[in-house]
Amino acid sequence: MGLISKLLGIIFAASGIAILFFGSSDPVWSIAYYILGLILMSVGLTLVTSRGESKERKPPPPTVTEIRCDNPECTFKEIRDFQKADYILKPMEAQCPKCQSSMTIHGIYVVREEESE
Amino acid sequence: MVKGELEFFEMIQMQLPGLEGDFTGLINIVFLVFIIMMSLYGARIQMWQWLKQIEAGLVELERMKKESTQKAIDTFKKFGRPEDEVVKELARWLDYFTIMPVDLDPAGILKRLDHLLDERRDRFQEFVSELAPEGILSEHQSLENTLEVTQVLDLVYRVVRHFYLIGKKTGSQIMIMQIHMQMPDIMRLAKAYFDALDAFAEGKPIGDGIGPLVVTRFAREYGGTPDSYVHEISREVGYYPIEVEGRIVYALRATGPGGTVGKPGFAVKKLVDDNKGKIARIITVDAALKLEGEDMGRVSEGTGAAIGDPGPEKHAMEQTATENDIGIEAIVIKEDEAAAVGVLDKRILDSVPEVIERIKTSILKRTKPGDKIILAGIGNTIGIGL
Repeated sequence: MGLISKLLGIIFAASGIAILFFGSSDPVWSIAYYILGLILMSVGLTLVTSRGESKERKPPPPTVTEIRCDNPECTFKEIRDFQKADYILKPMEAQCPKCQSSMTIHGIYVVREEESE
Repeated sequence: MVKGELEFFEMIQMQLPGLEGDFTGLINIVFLVFIIMMSLYGARIQMWQWLKQIEAGLVELERMKKESTQKAIDTFKKFGRPEDEVVKELARWLDYFTIMPVDLDPAGILKRLDHLLDERRDRFQEFVSELAPEGILSEHQSLENTLEVTQVLDLVYRVVRHFYLIGKKTGSQIMIMQIHMQMPDIMRLAKAYFDALDAFAEGKPIGDGIGPLVVTRFAREYGGTPDSYVHEISREVGYYPIEVEGRIVYALRATGPGGTVGKPGFAVKKLVDDNKGKIARIITVDAALKLEGEDMGRVSEGTGAAIGDPGPEKHAMEQTATENDIGIEAIVIKEDEAAAVGVLDKRILDSVPEVIERIKTSILKRTKPGDKIILAGIGNTIGIGL
């Protein structure tokens, strides 16, 4: 939709400019062409420069749970989807598959897209 | 056409050299009518355009309100009451209000405000425990938050609709203009709360909870455990007593993982009163709103109490610090509104080690061994365990 509106905008703006340039040699019609050219050009430029706010709502980024091994020498880390009753610093029942130590939920977070400035 | 009008158009025609022919008069008339219409009705056209834009915003706000109410109903009905009762009770509760204390006589206003806020909180707790009889305390706390978000969205919708309708009814340009100008900000706020509903309904940690999270991580580094946590020194607030480089640190936060902020200001006051003359420093850690363009999760520090309550908590902290001549400093983590009420952002979580380093530096530089320090993590503890 965004691309189509941009293309239409370019076509409108170009037609407006062409009409403004070439218009009509008849003094009366030249005024009519002048107004038509201006309208087409402004509509076209509006379409080109509009940000095209999409009506589609983006789904929120998924929430993930990061589980880490409590042994400071072990680097085991698991990231999985958030499950109900998860909370940060919750001790896990499962043991570390690498060193058999206990594990804790280290973080629950989303990774949001960087805002465009 | 009467003689006077003919002369008028002939006069206009004379002002536009080069325009001759059959259409000249017609074009002139159209042009003239356009100018007259715009000068007479331009403001009305503009108002119509503003009203249409407000209307579009209202449609979006209504959608958010309806979806959030439905989400609240779906969440509450899991805790033991039939759906029709939940719907009825929620509808009754959505426009629950709190009347702010009179400020014509400001003496004692904070005490009165604190009393009203306590009373409001009691009513919320009572309502939630009646509507979710099978829930446990932490679930009740999160349900309270869900209810509050639904209330906010309902209120925003009703206020915008009020101004829209009253502006339409009276034709007051200033009324319509005001609400139109505020619409982008209102929509941003409503969207932030709407997106946050999922976090509250499912008990996920939010950006505002970074203060309690930092305090807990810091306490754990120095041996603090859920068992060593001292509960309820003030409403829903406790602390880990820990030892850091020869100093005693009271690492204070609200009790999680339910969604609560507690009363940390009064907890600080109680700790200072209990340790008369022995507290050397108060360090507060909280989330702060970032300015547009600033990085999410940026850590800043300053002087004062970092706490964003309506007044009584901050006042209690400042008053006790001033009376006892205790240095009070703030470390804040910058985030926007959407991140503060939405699910914890990775960039905010990544700031924890830096905040902990700054706390350590502050303790080592500005206190000496044997001193007692209060470290207060301010924020909503939803999804953050002890």
